[in-house]
Amino acid sequence: MAEDLRTERKGLILAVKDLPTLPKVLDEVARLVERSDSSTDEVAKLIAMDQVLSAKVLKMVNSPIYGFPGRISSIQHALVLLGFNVLRGIIVSTSVFEIMSENMVGLWEHSLGVALASSTVARAAGLRDPEEYSVAGLLHDLGKVVATVQLPELKGEIEQAVKTKDLLYIEAEKEVMGFGHDRINAWLADHWKLPPNIKEGLSHHHKPHLAQLYPDMACAVHIGDFMARVFEYGFGGDDNVTYLRPEALKRLKLKPVDVERILDHLSEQFLEIADLSFS
Amino acid sequence: MQKLPLSLARPGMVLAKAVARADGIAVAAQGTELSQSLLDRFDTMGVDAVVVEGNPVDLEGSAGDISYEKRAERLDHLFRKHAGDKWMEQIKKLLYDYFKLKAAGMAAARAAAEPPREG
Repeated sequence: MAEDLRTERKGLILAVKDLPTLPKVLDEVARLVERSDSSTDEVAKLIAMDQVLSAKVLKMVNSPIYGFPGRISSIQHALVLLGFNVLRGIIVSTSVFEIMSENMVGLWEHSLGVALASSTVARAAGLRDPEEYSVAGLLHDLGKVVATVQLPELKGEIEQAVKTKDLLYIEAEKEVMGFGHDRINAWLADHWKLPPNIKEGLSHHHKPHLAQLYPDMACAVHIGDFMARVFEYGFGGDDNVTYLRPEALKRLKLKPVDVERILDHLSEQFLEIADLSFS
Repeated sequence: MQKLPLSLARPGMVLAKAVARADGIAVAAQGTELSQSLLDRFDTMGVDAVVVEGNPVDLEGSAGDISYEKRAERLDHLFRKHAGDKWMEQIKKLLYDYFKLKAAGMAAARAAAEPPREG
């Protein structure tokens, strides 16, 4: 593909600031967090001013995905328990998924499934702050959503290629657009200034063995994606399991018995989150 | 009747079985119509599933509820691109054995829970 066409498409995708739903409060909060003299209280108050957003955030943090089901009653409480990175990721995800049309509900479910599976993997591997892995899982296919919104005419072409050539969605993306959603993820992560560990989870979930800075994150989301596909929880764009990188299991020191524990947990929890909608 | 996770139970559904807390104390009788406040109370009491009249929810179509048996069957399709890959065949076998074992366990549990037929 011609380089200038690719650059043009990257530009189109990055015009996401035109998207109406990215809440202004996110910018304001980010600015506040950067200041050393700001308190959790101030940040919580700022988010809480947007009541619709707060309600969505509280619904999400109280889901079984984050391990505190039904027990977080305020934004302040959520900030203390989960940290700003997680809340920020949740705000981005609810905002972006809101613009999805109805026929992408499968992708939302897939994302929830990967969120749950990634943190389950992180817990099984004994990694710290499993909630951050949830958020990376939740956002791992953000690039698919944004590409669909910004380049709607290519979406049909990609889906067609998946169907007729029996491709993985990412293979079809590369064929049609010249790049995959993993690349878009990296651009978006920079654009929205997501934390570097979450960025690496987004940009390297298809090639965790190449992750340089936060390989644990990339590996956990990689395995989480695989698991959600095994359970066919939601729809990631094609009905295949991805190639499970042995390096990822090795890196997280997961043995077959750990994998079975993960499967046990997911069998139980997938039913619990089945009605979690984004609206 | 249908067993539902509490998250899928809705006001207006009717309990086909009494609901009891984990310590065995009954908190709602058979035949009770569910209301939102009752559901909220169940939630705070740690009740995670209820049995309701009829088949109000199509669990087959909802995300995440495919029986273990069916999951085992689907593996061939899901892994079709990795046929012949030794490592992926190994992973598939692990998953297949896992789902088969679970399916057998579920079937045994269902048989044990089936009440003796009346009349």
